[in-house]
Amino acid sequence: MTGIQQDLTSLSRGWRWGHRKLPPHSAEPHHSFGERREFPTDWARSRPARAAREAILRGGLTPLMHRETTMRVDGLDVFDDLEGPVVIVANHTSHLDTALLLTTLPARWQRKVTVGAAADYFFDAWWRAIGSALVFATFPIERHGHGLSDTPAKLIADGWSIVMFPEGTRSPDGWTRRFRPGAAALAITHNVPILPVGIRGSYAAMPKGRSWPRPGRPPVHVRYGRPIQPREGEGTLELNARVAASIETLLDEDATNWYGAALRAAAKQTPASSGPQVAEWRRVWASTAGPRNTPTRSKAWR
Amino acid sequence: MSRPGFVLTVDERTPPLLMHSGESFRLQEFPLGSRVVYPPESLPGLVDVDEAIEQALLNPIDSEPLTALLRPGMKLTIAFDDLSLPLPPMRKPDIRQRVIEHVLQHAADAGVDDVELIVATALHRRMTGAEIKAVVGERVYRSFWPDHLYNFDAEDRANLAHLGTTEQSEDVEISKRAAESDLLVYVNVNLVAMDGGWKSTAVGLASYNSLRHHHNAHTMIHSRSFMDPRHSELHSSAWRMGRILGEHVKVFQIETTLNNDAFPSQYGFLTKREWEWSLRDQATFLGAKRGIDLLPSKQRRRLFQGMEAPYAVTGISAGAVEPVHAQTLERVHRQQLVEVDGQADVLVMGLPYLCPYNVNSVMNPILAACLGLGYFFNMYRNKPLVREGGVIILNHPVPWEFSTLHHPSYVDFFDEVLAESTDPKVIGPKFEQQYATDPWYTHLYRTSHAYHGVHPFYMWYWCAHALDHVGQVIWVGGDRRSVARMGMRSASTFADALELARDTVGSSPSITYTHNPPHLLADVR
Repeated sequence: MTGIQQDLTSLSRGWRWGHRKLPPHSAEPHHSFGERREFPTDWARSRPARAAREAILRGGLTPLMHRETTMRVDGLDVFDDLEGPVVIVANHTSHLDTALLLTTLPARWQRKVTVGAAADYFFDAWWRAIGSALVFATFPIERHGHGLSDTPAKLIADGWSIVMFPEGTRSPDGWTRRFRPGAAALAITHNVPILPVGIRGSYAAMPKGRSWPRPGRPPVHVRYGRPIQPREGEGTLELNARVAASIETLLDEDATNWYGAALRAAAKQTPASSGPQVAEWRRVWASTAGPRNTPTRSKAWR
Repeated sequence: MSRPGFVLTVDERTPPLLMHSGESFRLQEFPLGSRVVYPPESLPGLVDVDEAIEQALLNPIDSEPLTALLRPGMKLTIAFDDLSLPLPPMRKPDIRQRVIEHVLQHAADAGVDDVELIVATALHRRMTGAEIKAVVGERVYRSFWPDHLYNFDAEDRANLAHLGTTEQSEDVEISKRAAESDLLVYVNVNLVAMDGGWKSTAVGLASYNSLRHHHNAHTMIHSRSFMDPRHSELHSSAWRMGRILGEHVKVFQIETTLNNDAFPSQYGFLTKREWEWSLRDQATFLGAKRGIDLLPSKQRRRLFQGMEAPYAVTGISAGAVEPVHAQTLERVHRQQLVEVDGQADVLVMGLPYLCPYNVNSVMNPILAACLGLGYFFNMYRNKPLVREGGVIILNHPVPWEFSTLHHPSYVDFFDEVLAESTDPKVIGPKFEQQYATDPWYTHLYRTSHAYHGVHPFYMWYWCAHALDHVGQVIWVGGDRRSVARMGMRSASTFADALELARDTVGSSPSITYTHNPPHLLADVR
């Protein structure tokens, strides 16, 4: 191999050409992503791109999700008397979450929803950025303090609803982590409601590190809650806390029943969605069990 | 906001790391678990340097303002660091020019006629007129060169003054003009922690008679390290001499510090952490490396030697020598200090094209050894980065090449002295006097641009602490004859070097690579 070939090989391997940049583990606290221009995604909200997305979601992703997982969706009646735009907020444990939301939203909402996605993850390589913007209508969100982008504000002003995962990244153990207040701030600034969603089972189906759901059509539950309107004079942290509590209640409701969850919520006894403070393996162990689907119809053969 | 230095642990995500190798550089993969010490990023420079200089001159530390020290009829001498600082040379205007212009303006306002400017070369080579002009600027050069702006001559017996001896019987002999001045202003560039303080005057303006007391193998072995003045025998000696000097002449010390912007923006990848390289940085690296490797050696040297650093000034202090230097060291530490936990079995260093003694010249094997085993090895506080009996791996081609203009005595030292012994403690007593007093070397030092005859000994003494401390020194890519002459081993690749190191440190040694330049000072705990 000539010198230049060697150098090119060394550069392409060492810097993972075509893949995302990954700082060495020990450098993460010192890492700077540098100045970055926001990847343009306006085209992904154009009429042809929306038509293409609808075809992909209906003809490809929805059947695929049904083939690979056992989906259960509850609470869709909230959309009957809801007008957009809204900020849709859910807990986040898996890459499946975005697909679950997009494929379970009613069609008229599906057409006018975008997803805030980590700029350093989904927009680090051109092909990934184009793919995710086309299929999931994503726009980039900086997670590492590069100042606020004005894209979400523009989207809401244009009537687009926004999906946000306020934990900022997928949970490493299936339990929810601290909610960052970005979604709440957006809702307050633009006086739009937040629609909470509880997702269960996606961690067990496809945790961080897997790129395809595990075999056996694992159960995944999506439960939409009632919209939360910011109150007059309400602070970001206050609203953020209400949203977090609401998702916690949805998860409890999904695991038990509506009335029981409501009673516990009223008594402030909802089980913490952040999970028990036990050894890490036990937290992961509990999350990988996933929800159990109650049979919706009796089986002919038992 | 500049980020502090840190220690990276090489993992599967770590790209190959940049390593200097003389007038080239390359990418080097390290075994998983190796540690890499990165210097802090550049601190922001002063917004208004001229204002800072004025403030320092008018509000000095433990001294009257400069204006109060100047009067008509007085004898004023301004001495300043030579071209060995900073490295690479600073983009114009040099900070020394800016400071000297301020000092001279005050002297002119006070009506001082008798002013002389001396380049504090000690036993370094004389700077050329063009080199001096680049440092002091056109105005100063035109006003004073050559009669009142000149290189110090340590062999001009008529112009040396013996000021006495220290309590340890060390001779203090310096420039007569400086010693007999009413005011001696010293302007320094404090690039590393070794520079400045009494070392500026008591070394920069001193003769061989004075320097021999601390520039020897014994002192260097007991300077741990000479980048940590508190634990440096070299500095203790210079401080003792400085205090004698201070009893004879009023010294007004002006010390300046620079940030870590050591390379021009087109070579920005040299100071960037590799995993943050953009595609552009990678392309620049590839283009620069391939282009440089294709150049004939003369053009390559010209390219590197023509590099000017866009350093920013991080601070200026003026006044009494010792408190001024304490402030300076704080600033140097803020820019260069990195905490490192524990020592390694193997210390790896990539040596660049430049050391203090080959500006506009050739880095011969002795200077390469001095840069690695002298300067870079000593960039520590508390204890060395490599354990006692460990291995040092250096990257440099070590060509058997000398400048007969600048380093004539080095040629003979390499051929004659190192061929007999490489032990600093042995060669000193046997050969040093002969080289120090050789009339031909002295003639070249005084009339040409040659380093003093004794200078190669000093370079070798500079290595003494490292040679005393480690078990083996291996050069990667070094000329085998040159390396063998220095009593060390050479390896074709880094992997081969680790293989050679097995005999000393076993098959899975801990490895630390210091990612410099820019400079870093490891605070080893």
